[in-house]
Amino acid sequence: MTKAFSIFGSGSRPQLGPFEQQLLQELWSQGSATVRELLADGRIHQAYTTVMTTVDRLYKKGLLDRVVEGRAFRYTPRHSPEELQRVTALESIRQLLGSGDASLLPLSYLVEALSTHDAQLLDELQLLVEQKRRELRESKGRDSEARGSR
Amino acid sequence: MFALRGIAVSLTFFVLVYCLLSALVAVAWRSLRWLHARGKRLAGLLFALRVLPLAASIVVTFTFVVPSFQLLEPRSMDIDEGMGAVPLALGIFALLLIAWGCFRVITAQTKTSRVVARWLEGARPVAVEAGAQTVTFCSRSEAPPLTLVGVRKPRVLVSKSTVALLSQDELQIALRHEIAHMQSRDNLKKLIFRFCPFPGMAKLESAWSQAAELAADDSAVSNLDDAVDLAAALVKLSRLIPVEAAPVCTVGFVTGSIRARVARLLAWDEAGKAQPTRVRPWYVVPPVLAVLLCVLATYGPALALTHDVTEWLVR
Repeated sequence: MTKAFSIFGSGSRPQLGPFEQQLLQELWSQGSATVRELLADGRIHQAYTTVMTTVDRLYKKGLLDRVVEGRAFRYTPRHSPEELQRVTALESIRQLLGSGDASLLPLSYLVEALSTHDAQLLDELQLLVEQKRRELRESKGRDSEARGSR
Repeated sequence: MFALRGIAVSLTFFVLVYCLLSALVAVAWRSLRWLHARGKRLAGLLFALRVLPLAASIVVTFTFVVPSFQLLEPRSMDIDEGMGAVPLALGIFALLLIAWGCFRVITAQTKTSRVVARWLEGARPVAVEAGAQTVTFCSRSEAPPLTLVGVRKPRVLVSKSTVALLSQDELQIALRHEIAHMQSRDNLKKLIFRFCPFPGMAKLESAWSQAAELAADDSAVSNLDDAVDLAAALVKLSRLIPVEAAPVCTVGFVTGSIRARVARLLAWDEAGKAQPTRVRPWYVVPPVLAVLLCVLATYGPALALTHDVTEWLVR
């Protein structure tokens, strides 16, 4: 997993070119492929050597595994799209913490640092929890009032 | 040669039963209807299914293969059957599989120990109501919010941010959740999974992990107030991003589907919890006795059959 970190530069997004991303998508959809198989389905319009160089670069960035098959390599993505996304997120936090004395970082730097989607989901869940708490308090209040009136 | 042949044949049976059952479990586990069980029972069933191939292959090897070889294989020096290519190849494969399993276990243990030792720098035990001797406060920033670590001497690590974020009640119930994992020996179970690898088992392990979380939620919660506190703790701690991936022998508090766990906690049914399903172990006794009697009645022919298969494999 650590080798995948070499794809990160100073920013949090993986530094992949459009063609590298296209090849990665193809490999995710096919599971594994040789350069010839990548070219065979006709969606990639590049020279064999260009594709070969690019998948080799992805391999060196730690995004692909490869095994010898005949006289060529068969490439397999090392991470699923979700895993790659997770590694990206983790690395951005690691870079944040590595930028200074991590122990001095205020808690607020870590809290709420999730992606917008996850933060939204957690906000919704928090609202549900608070609503349930209110309901519980109200029902307890009603119970104690009822006991008091008896 | 006799002993070597015996070992090779035993390992051959072991690996054949293990691989066949593993393949069967990996393909068929989701279609089993009785997996609609809930909570602790579901976690137990999934764990049993996951370790069934290993357990069954060990039982078959030691109950049938070893005795059949010992009793029925001629020991005469005049008859040298040789080891046979199939038992030799499968025996080596079995040894490699066992060695691979051991390597995975040792690696997981070593990696966990290294990471946990780093988390524990400057840590101190905390005296809290729920399991005072097992809770440790970690001051290092890379420590996870709340997690159970260790197999032999498990303990719950609580981070600075967790103590800051959670109320007293929320912290107590969250600790109870982790202690439920400790009582279920979930880290040991994870290590057992590491020992018996097989392709296609990841989804079953993931389902077990989710079921184990729900089971720990069930064990921690005793009323609706607890359930809401646990849900609140879960949402709060989900906002903390882990600084590094947790090693194998740890169980984090924020694991599995948070949405599903929170929804389940908020819909907590106190009546259901107050009347837990009665476990009647004596129901198990007749089937177990019946199986034992069948095994005893057919043990001789089963040994002979096993020996015939052995002969066929060797020749």
